[in-house]
Amino acid sequence: MDWVAVGLKEDVPPGMVIPSRISDTELALWCTPSGRYHAWSDRCPHRGMRLSHGFVRGDTLACIYHGWQYNEAGSCEYIPAHPKLTPPDTICVPTYACAEAGGVIWVSLAGTDMPLPVLGGRVPIRSLQISLSAPDLAAHFGAHSFTTIAVVSDHEALLAVQPCTDRTCMVHALAAPDADRKVVSRWLEDLRATLEGVPS
Amino acid sequence: MILYDYVLSASCYKVRLMAALLGTPLTLRAVNFHPGREHKSPEMLALNPKGTLPILQDRDTVLTDSADILRRLTADHPEWQNTDDDRWLAFASDLNDSLGLARLHDVIGYEADIDKARAAGVSALRKLEAHLTEQRFDGLIFLTGSNPTIADIACFPNTALAPDGGVTLDPYPSIRLWMRAIRSLPGFIEMPGIHRLHELAHPA
Repeated sequence: MDWVAVGLKEDVPPGMVIPSRISDTELALWCTPSGRYHAWSDRCPHRGMRLSHGFVRGDTLACIYHGWQYNEAGSCEYIPAHPKLTPPDTICVPTYACAEAGGVIWVSLAGTDMPLPVLGGRVPIRSLQISLSAPDLAAHFGAHSFTTIAVVSDHEALLAVQPCTDRTCMVHALAAPDADRKVVSRWLEDLRATLEGVPS
Repeated sequence: MILYDYVLSASCYKVRLMAALLGTPLTLRAVNFHPGREHKSPEMLALNPKGTLPILQDRDTVLTDSADILRRLTADHPEWQNTDDDRWLAFASDLNDSLGLARLHDVIGYEADIDKARAAGVSALRKLEAHLTEQRFDGLIFLTGSNPTIADIACFPNTALAPDGGVTLDPYPSIRLWMRAIRSLPGFIEMPGIHRLHELAHPA
C-alpha cells in the first residue's frame, strides 16, 4: 500500500502517543523526545493492552498495563517485574514504515519504495473526521486513489485522506502557506457538512 | 465547605477538581446516588428540592448548580475567570445533556435515546474541536486563552469521559492536547475514567 497520512506533526508533539488506524489495522503512533515518529501495531505483546494507552519514557514506549518498555525498533527492553532480566528478542511489537514530511506523518503498512507524496509547498492546517468512507470521499472528488486528493479552491487545499472504517475517514488538510488558517478551517467545516449531507 | 458528592458524577468531579487546583479544602459527604438513590431521600430533598448532585453547602449558603459552584469557588481567584466563561459554562450543559447522558445510560442504566445522545455528543465535540483548533492557531491552548479558567474545568469532565458513553475521542487532536494540558496542571486530581499523566521512573 502507498503512503497514508495518519496525522499532523503539530498534533503529535514529542513524548506523546496516540491511537490511529488505517482501515482495520489499529496503530499506536508515537514521537520520541527528540522528534522521531513511529507507527506500531496497537497491541502490547504481553497481554494485548493498547499501547496507545501507554506513555513515552525516554526513547521507549511503555505499556500502561505492566510497564513493559519497547525501544524504537519495537523490541522489549525492560520488564519492571523482572528488572534484572534481559527480555528475549522474540518479544517485539510489529512496526510499520513511518516518516514525517511537510508537517504530515505518513505510514505505509506494507513498506513501500514510493517517494513520499509531493505537497507543493503547502502547509498543514488541521485534521478532521468525516463520516464517509475514504473511497466514497475519493469518488466525490473524482479521484482514483484516496491517498492524496488535490482540491482546486481559493486555498489551493490538498486533502490527504486516511481510511478508518467503512463509514468514516480522517482528512488531513493542507493549504497555501499564505492562507488564513481560520478561514481554511471553517471552509473545511462547511465542506464536511456538504459531504455529509447536513445543512450548514 | 461541604460537598455532597458522588464519585462517578462528572459534575461532582468538576467541583472536586476545581477545589484541588485552587488548594481549597472541601469536606466530602459521599451520597449513594447509585444504586441507593440517596439524592432523592427526604434529607437530601430538604437541602436540594431539585434532587440533584453536586450540592455545595457553605455555612448558610446552598448551591446546587455546578457552574454557580465553580464561580463561587473562584470568587477570590480572578485568574480562574474570564469574560468568555459564560458561553462555555452553557456549552458544558450541552456536553452534560449529550455525552453525560450517554455515559449514564451505559454505566448505570439511565433511560435515554442513546443514538440521539451520542449524535448530539459528537456534534458538541466537533464544535469544541473547531474552537480549540482556532485557539491553537493563536498560540492558545485553553478555551478562553493561555490560562485555564472555570470554562475549561466545566467542559473537561464530560469530554474526557465520552468513551464511557460509547463516543470515541480518537478523531479530535486539539481536544486531546487540551485535555493533556488540563491533566498537566499542578494539583490535578483523578476520578474513575480520568487518569493523571504518568510519572513512572525510567530504569536506571
